[in-house]
Amino acid sequence: MSTKTPAAPAASQELARKAPRSSKSKKFFRKVEPYIWIAPSIILMAIFIVTPIVKVFQLSMSKVTRAGLVKGYNNFENFSKVLKSPAFALVLKNTIVWTIAVVVISTVLGFMLALVLNNKFRGRKVARAIVVFPWATTLVIQASAWNFIINKDYGTLNTLLMKIGLISAPVNWTPTPGAYFAWEIACGIFVTIPFVTFCVLSGLQSIDASYYEAATVDGAGYFQKLFSITLPLVKSSLTVATVLNIIYVFNSFPIIWTMTKGDPANHTDTLVTYLYKLAFYNGKQGEASAVSVIGFLILLVCASVYMIYTLRKGDDDL
Amino acid sequence: MSQPVNTVKKPVSIKKTILRVLLYFVVLDVCVITLYPYFAMLCTALKNRVEIFSGGTVLPVVPLWSNFIDIWSRAPMAKYMLNSVLIAGGSTIIAMLCGIPAAYALARMKFKGQTAFLGFVIVSQMFAPVVLLIGIYQVMQRLGLTDNILGLIFINAAFNQAFTIWLLRGTFMGISAEMEQAATIDGCTRVQSMMKVLLPVAAPGIVTTLIFIFINAWNEYTVALCLISTDDYKPLTVGINTFNGYNMIEWQYLFAASIFAIIPVVILFMCIEKNLVSGLASGGVKG
Repeated sequence: MSTKTPAAPAASQELARKAPRSSKSKKFFRKVEPYIWIAPSIILMAIFIVTPIVKVFQLSMSKVTRAGLVKGYNNFENFSKVLKSPAFALVLKNTIVWTIAVVVISTVLGFMLALVLNNKFRGRKVARAIVVFPWATTLVIQASAWNFIINKDYGTLNTLLMKIGLISAPVNWTPTPGAYFAWEIACGIFVTIPFVTFCVLSGLQSIDASYYEAATVDGAGYFQKLFSITLPLVKSSLTVATVLNIIYVFNSFPIIWTMTKGDPANHTDTLVTYLYKLAFYNGKQGEASAVSVIGFLILLVCASVYMIYTLRKGDDDL
Repeated sequence: MSQPVNTVKKPVSIKKTILRVLLYFVVLDVCVITLYPYFAMLCTALKNRVEIFSGGTVLPVVPLWSNFIDIWSRAPMAKYMLNSVLIAGGSTIIAMLCGIPAAYALARMKFKGQTAFLGFVIVSQMFAPVVLLIGIYQVMQRLGLTDNILGLIFINAAFNQAFTIWLLRGTFMGISAEMEQAATIDGCTRVQSMMKVLLPVAAPGIVTTLIFIFINAWNEYTVALCLISTDDYKPLTVGINTFNGYNMIEWQYLFAASIFAIIPVVILFMCIEKNLVSGLASGGVKG
């Protein structure tokens, strides 16, 4: 771009007036211009994301009254209270089980589904459209539907299985809190699969078909091709999908909240439902903030891996 | 090359047929399982209370279409719907107004702190609103935006900035800057060259982003649940729980209302599914 752009005649008079200063101010403007462009976005995120983050960190180290008034710092009393409470160990264990089970199983199934949908077959478009459904549906509704389906008294799963003849009497699908938690995990997997599938599909579609043709000529079998061509080439899309999934699933609130609210006695609570109850039901905002901070720290490890990975990729591009 | 292929054609085609059948079997299974919850919802939405709670039927004995009409009088469904439209629409507009210039700057300019800003955008995805609810609540109290649709609009817009910037930056970077440079030489300002040259070319990517934010905001539940207490300001996701009372759940109404909440989103999603995924991948993979 040239520094001197020919001005439109109408503006020339005004420009002439500013002429002596124009080149200097132009240079200055050049320098600040990018910041003006990103300013709206920064202001928006500063007020509604950064300020809450700062607040949460502040509260986690403060004595907070039930009304939400801050009464000075209390060192790390909130953290020690949280870590000492017997419920916390259970909640942390649930969170880890929840995150790992949902992410791992949905990644494996989603990947397999992507391989299937990558084939050319009649009705492929329809199948892809159907697979999108759970991704598009809000989680509350999804969870309500599952809650209804597995109900032991009138749920449709029992009715359906009895009609088919697989069972003769209604089965209680949720006899223990653990069983309920397993159903929540199943629901989580159900809604997470489409995201993985479509990320992998996009990776698969960018693979040049000639690789496979060459491998076939060389006599490579299906699994050989899968492990030496497909997997390495979709690795990057799979990594992005997995890291994002870890964050989303870790922070997922609606499914558990709709199905069990973490009951009975924290047996199905994860960190986010636990902190929600602490903050908005029990009025323990300080402790709830401490739980938030602990959650951040866990996720920070994942996010930094993700950031290093994506930024390094970006630098390669530049 | 054609000769060896011909000699082994027979056994391959049998194997192929089996694989084909297997493929259709798997695809069909996946589709049936995926659609099952929706099928169950629709069937239940067409039953009456007695039939639901006695169980025993899959399809409704007599489809009770009136459930779909009754919900509008049993709960302020029209208001919930309007609120959802306002929240999703408002969030989309603000997210785009802030996100387009930011993505443009990241794609077309070089400046100090560029990598830091991009890094912040990526890290911000780590903070889901639910973990920050306590902080968000306090900020909203200070701004007087609790129990207010405007508050939800700002929150949704802010938490969708990462995706907006990410997707749009990828789109803009995929478009050559030559045309804009030519326009600048012809006397256009940067804003003009962006509006008149870049944005029309980037329209598919912009529409994809737009719809994606709209869907996210439409489906948002947690923040709305926490911030909104007045029935008049509730979006659909929170409002439909009117039918999910403490004493009894009105499944037929809950699911009839749910179907109204699902349909627009599913249609929108199917429109952008292809673009969205390639956008996500190019944004994330290409950097």
